[in-house]
Amino acid sequence: MNEILITYICEDLLNNELESGLSPQDDLLGSGILDSLGMMKLILFIEQKYNITVPPQDMIIENFMTVSHITNYLTNKEQS
Amino acid sequence: MSTTTLVDIISNSSDKSPHKAAFRFEQEAISYRELEVKTTQLAKYLGSVGVQKGDRVGIFMNRCLESVIAVYGIMKAGAAYVPLDANAPHARTVFLLNDANIKIVVGTETFSKKLQKLLEAQSPLERLIGVQLKVTYQTTPWEEIYQVEIKGFKPILIAEEDVAYIMYTSGSTGLPKGIVHSHKSGLTYAGLSAQLFKVSPEDRVGNHAPLHFDISTFGYFTAPLAGATTIIIPEAHTKLPVSMLALMEKEKLSIWYSVPLALIQLHLCGLISEYNLTSLRCVLFGGENFTLKYLRALMQEWPHAKFYNIYGPAEVNQCTHYLIDELPPLDKPVPIGKVWGANEYKILNENDQELRGIGQVGELVVKTDTMMIGYWNNPELTKKSFYLENTSSNKTKKYFRTGDLVKRNLTNDLVFVGRNDRQVKFRGYRVELDEIETVLERHNLIKKAAVCLVNSSPSDTVIFAGIQLEKTTMISPNALKLYCKLHLPPYMVPQKIEIMKEFPKTSSGKIDLLAFKNKIKAI
Repeated sequence: MNEILITYICEDLLNNELESGLSPQDDLLGSGILDSLGMMKLILFIEQKYNITVPPQDMIIENFMTVSHITNYLTNKEQS
Repeated sequence: MSTTTLVDIISNSSDKSPHKAAFRFEQEAISYRELEVKTTQLAKYLGSVGVQKGDRVGIFMNRCLESVIAVYGIMKAGAAYVPLDANAPHARTVFLLNDANIKIVVGTETFSKKLQKLLEAQSPLERLIGVQLKVTYQTTPWEEIYQVEIKGFKPILIAEEDVAYIMYTSGSTGLPKGIVHSHKSGLTYAGLSAQLFKVSPEDRVGNHAPLHFDISTFGYFTAPLAGATTIIIPEAHTKLPVSMLALMEKEKLSIWYSVPLALIQLHLCGLISEYNLTSLRCVLFGGENFTLKYLRALMQEWPHAKFYNIYGPAEVNQCTHYLIDELPPLDKPVPIGKVWGANEYKILNENDQELRGIGQVGELVVKTDTMMIGYWNNPELTKKSFYLENTSSNKTKKYFRTGDLVKRNLTNDLVFVGRNDRQVKFRGYRVELDEIETVLERHNLIKKAAVCLVNSSPSDTVIFAGIQLEKTTMISPNALKLYCKLHLPPYMVPQKIEIMKEFPKTSSGKIDLLAFKNKIKAI
């Protein structure tokens, strides 16, 4: 799951050059890797790819800060 | 003590209310007294490593408490601060370091990799503050700054005409240009805006704009001048509107100032009514037009707040404002309003003749104490940007040519009509389309580039670049996008790039932009 998200971010959303590859622990929001429109696109991608709906109240920093936060969120969502 | 420079703002507020929180960021806060001490520590340190009056010092970080310390500490050292956009490509920042001859940059650990790369680049940069790197260059972490003994610090004598800060913006020649502001222009702005919006010590001001964006000065200068508390919005919150709403509620913000896009996102997330934002008394927006249906929706969601349309190029800070006291009709643009304070303006036709009639469209020129000194290192452009009027008393009045076309309406409010050049506002950012073209044309496979804004859907606009390649060469639009990302800030990279055989031309051989736009729509 990490791989799919990282590939999508690197190929379609990346705002600027990265010094090294994107790691699951990299801060997507604070470091300028994504802008606000990129974030919206990422959420749309996740919804389509995994056939789920991310309700607005889930679109928060705690769920989307890093790729690893996102996969945790998705795994928890699957289980519930 | 009187306030004659921006530096006095913190010293005076520290004398008046030492323990009051001046700035808040996430779980932390800094009081006026602490800010006074820490800015003195930074100023003293800068002096000890050779910073002299008139030097430029860069700031490279996301907004946080250290950015306030950097802004005021640098000015206290007699130098001018130059905000560097941490999201801009490396090459662009290196250009700024060279252009402004920046030897020292103040940063934070967040961007230590990018900062190290800047140190290694060809530029005057030789020292970093706020990071610790294992390199041969000089680096000093914040902890060391906070141990500087402030006793014996000799305040630098600063005059109101001295340079306080330089903000870089898109330049039509293909290179960014630096807007130079003095202590006087910055302080006059702070005073006028504090008065106009009746900012008081009880206010809690939301600072949404990054430091390199001119509207950040409201949170950094105006709020502390009034003894208020500024809440610095973390970068992450600007990207997730629901988290932003939660923060606005928790911090009980009373004044908000941002580009319309940030407010539109709050509305579109669909949860705005879940959050109690009754503390919000003033919503200021500027930078570009606010899509009227969203503005109306937001005004209905926050009926207790006063909404102001703010207008003013970064060269003059703010210059007009318009209080929207009832729901604006959908078919009429919201006026930019009236020029504030004791400032003067004229509307000129293309021959610099004044237009006085209602509805006559011409360029707005403004004379105000909030006006910049000029463009950095660019006397020619500076000269071109001013309109000089010789008065009967043999004096010369200097007006800034905004490049914005306006007209007066029946209530004598100004209404924005368009530009007299190719500058556009895109997602709140000020962009010279010519700069994007020039950067593209520097690519050795590109013969000609034509860039414009087009509607990709009824509600969205994108930057479109049409490209003519040199004969018998090939390159993909994606490779060109990558090239743009290396040379332009993210918001200036075209969303759509199309290789075209030829561009529609006018009879004089220039690109026919209207036909060009029509052709794109057909693609």
